[in-house]
Amino acid sequence: MGGEEVGVEKATIICRCNDVTLEDINKAIEAGIDDFELLRKYLKIGFGPCQGRGCLLIAARIFARRMSKSLGDVLVNYSVRPPITPIPAKYFTTVSLAFQGGEEVSRGGKS
Amino acid sequence: MRILIIGAGVSGLFIAYELLKRGLREVLVLDAKTPGYGASLRNIGCFRSSFTSREHVLLMKESIAKWLEIKRDWGVFIEQRGYLWIARREDTLDVFRELAKFHNSLGVPTRVIGVDELSSREPYINTSIVKGALFDPTAGKMSVIEVFTELYIRVKKMGGIIIPHTPVERLASSGGVVKSAITPRGEYTADVFVVAAAEGSRKILESIGVNVPIEPSPRHPLVTEPYAEVIKSGLVIDWDTPGSPHITQTQHGSIILARDIKDEPWTPLNSQRHDAFERIIKPLSELYPFLRNVNVNRYWMGYYDMTPDHHPIYGPIKPFENLYIAAGFSGHGLMMAPITGVLIADWILHGRPRISVAENLVLERFETGRLVKEIAVVG
Repeated sequence: MGGEEVGVEKATIICRCNDVTLEDINKAIEAGIDDFELLRKYLKIGFGPCQGRGCLLIAARIFARRMSKSLGDVLVNYSVRPPITPIPAKYFTTVSLAFQGGEEVSRGGKS
Repeated sequence: MRILIIGAGVSGLFIAYELLKRGLREVLVLDAKTPGYGASLRNIGCFRSSFTSREHVLLMKESIAKWLEIKRDWGVFIEQRGYLWIARREDTLDVFRELAKFHNSLGVPTRVIGVDELSSREPYINTSIVKGALFDPTAGKMSVIEVFTELYIRVKKMGGIIIPHTPVERLASSGGVVKSAITPRGEYTADVFVVAAAEGSRKILESIGVNVPIEPSPRHPLVTEPYAEVIKSGLVIDWDTPGSPHITQTQHGSIILARDIKDEPWTPLNSQRHDAFERIIKPLSELYPFLRNVNVNRYWMGYYDMTPDHHPIYGPIKPFENLYIAAGFSGHGLMMAPITGVLIADWILHGRPRISVAENLVLERFETGRLVKEIAVVG
């Protein structure tokens, strides 16, 4: 094939939305990230349009094996968040407000 | 001296970091869930010192100075891109002028800018509906996850012990001294206890008869797929629309949209609302018409841990000799966290904080009635 040799870890993509490789996961664990939720957020695994459907279980298994934990322990605080698939914002810009009324809080406290 | 910190959020970890930096060896941090599970990793990562009370302004100025040191030393994404409060109405600019006067008197260089400067700072804004803005050049944004992860790794490398999945059910005390924290995984003893458990602090402290007035108020941010940089500022706030819709863009490129929608305190964090999308997106798409072309990727909830005067509860809890609190940040916990660490460490090691206005934020203020006053009450 020729060309530069790429290590198998670097060539193994775990999260296709955000191009996270096996090497990225291994490096993050070596850096001291020993909590899966933190690792997942740090590498943005499951942050893309697939919402984790493609990558979450693979990443969780790799992490569980490396840390000698069960898959259940690794995923204990994972939560699925809506929408299930990305929604075009335009659907919410033109419709008449079905929810009009005094539902917003008064000023103050926003960051 | 053995310190037990309850809550491995950004406040608890900065307290641990500061104590370890000052040479303490036994620092233990317990968390009911995983590190950063609460507001620490649910907030939108913005900071400012342009508040309306002396306490907030002075503490946040020091905190921003700390953030800039952290940016330099840790190499993390923290940038002073400025805040813009947008006026849709002409008379709002008068309110902004009053606010700027107050900020300037405390050394925060906010100023009112016209539509021309606004559109040079925010080229994609719809200038036909805006009249100007209040600009705070010292405010900004950071990568929350990067900063938190770096903090977590550093605390551990310095010898701090962080134990997840260990909720404190109650404290045990005798003779004005807290002796231990009781969890389902056993009892933890220490010489000093720090409660930094956000709304969870309430139940923990109730167990020794201390009432902490914190009410978690749900917030609802949305995030889009990543795009090229379109929001240049740290945060842009639509001041004249109820619930102050606001928008920022992460380093990754995702655009975060949010608005303060009225919700019941203590509503569980998995109670997403079907009306949030429309309420949040509609006003912001008037301000930034390109939003019609983006995809919304995710929606989550988080709490503002509100206190009656919207300021945090800091410092020693009397009559206990060895008990401290840092909670109730009312939506500003991340931006204050570096200075929270410094102040609580000062209190523990020297009996008082280096910034004296912090003493106005002790828990007794709710009993003595000396609540923090918003000096510049506007709008």
